[in-house]
Amino acid sequence: MLKGKVALVTGSSRGIGRAIALKLAEKGADVIVNFFRRRQAAEQTAKDIETLGVTAKVIKANVGDPEKVNEMFDIISSSFGRLDIFINNAASGMPRSALDLDTKGWDWTMDINAKAFLLCTQRAVKLMEGRGGKIVTVTSLGSHLVLPGYTAIGVSKAALEALTRYLAIELAAKSICVNAVAASLVTTEAGMLYAGIAKEQLGDAFAWQTTPAGRLVTPEDIANVVAFLCSEEAFMIRGQVIVVDGGTSLVPFGVMSKGG
Amino acid sequence: MSAIEETIKDTIVKIVHCEREVLTPTATFKDMKADSLDMVQVLVALEDELGIEIPDEDAQKFQTFGDFVAYMEAKVAKKKGNA
Repeated sequence: MLKGKVALVTGSSRGIGRAIALKLAEKGADVIVNFFRRRQAAEQTAKDIETLGVTAKVIKANVGDPEKVNEMFDIISSSFGRLDIFINNAASGMPRSALDLDTKGWDWTMDINAKAFLLCTQRAVKLMEGRGGKIVTVTSLGSHLVLPGYTAIGVSKAALEALTRYLAIELAAKSICVNAVAASLVTTEAGMLYAGIAKEQLGDAFAWQTTPAGRLVTPEDIANVVAFLCSEEAFMIRGQVIVVDGGTSLVPFGVMSKGG
Repeated sequence: MSAIEETIKDTIVKIVHCEREVLTPTATFKDMKADSLDMVQVLVALEDELGIEIPDEDAQKFQTFGDFVAYMEAKVAKKKGNA
């Protein structure tokens, strides 16, 4: 389905990004694995991608730093000469309430989570020009729901979702589809940290109390939807935020019993 | 004190805003009152300054300022050896 396509997945050394990178590779795409802090994990992802019979390339870059974004795209440009799929997944941030946030933490979060989407898209579009492409950003329910300590990250995700709509329209005529996938709590290392929840708390009981679908969302659940948005079948979906949460956001008081 | 240790101290003081005197070999990152974002920013700044890479897999092993300096000195020496 994606054979011969070149995909960049930011923050794909682990967690949701890794699952997306593997899913796109499984569909036939060559994948650029971007990482910032975890080289060993990124190289493992690349190794796993290559076992699927496609090409993987690891590029280190802090996507919150415009200079590093340019360096990353210069490498992509010289190595592949084009880009068909750009997945904006890299995210960072510290759990803080609004009154405890300092400018350093705010800027860090906004730069990596929101500004990077704009800067990477500006460069990605140049590599998609004339052929079309798919752009998907990963966001979360915290963009419009209030989650404890999630202030800066939630605001950055709201910015991502707004930017998704603006980009979708601006790039529509270039046959570049731009959409977002919003996840509820996903049991990755980062997800646990942001939610302030220990893995032991996440048994079946927790899943049934919070998620009508009866289990928590996995990185693969997100990857499946991202892969769909990267397919031609999704060509007419533009500027949308697709919620992947097993129904969590529809039950503000939790699930009373199995089935609602 | 090595030039590398000086660079590390300059960087930590600039980013964490701690007193230079706190940075003794046995000082922990808690002693510096550095949060996790401070530490990442220190690592990123030193990577650029010294032209090396400090992956989180390594950074998680540092217990004290002394460990950190020893690691950085070894990394820079290895880089020079490879050059």
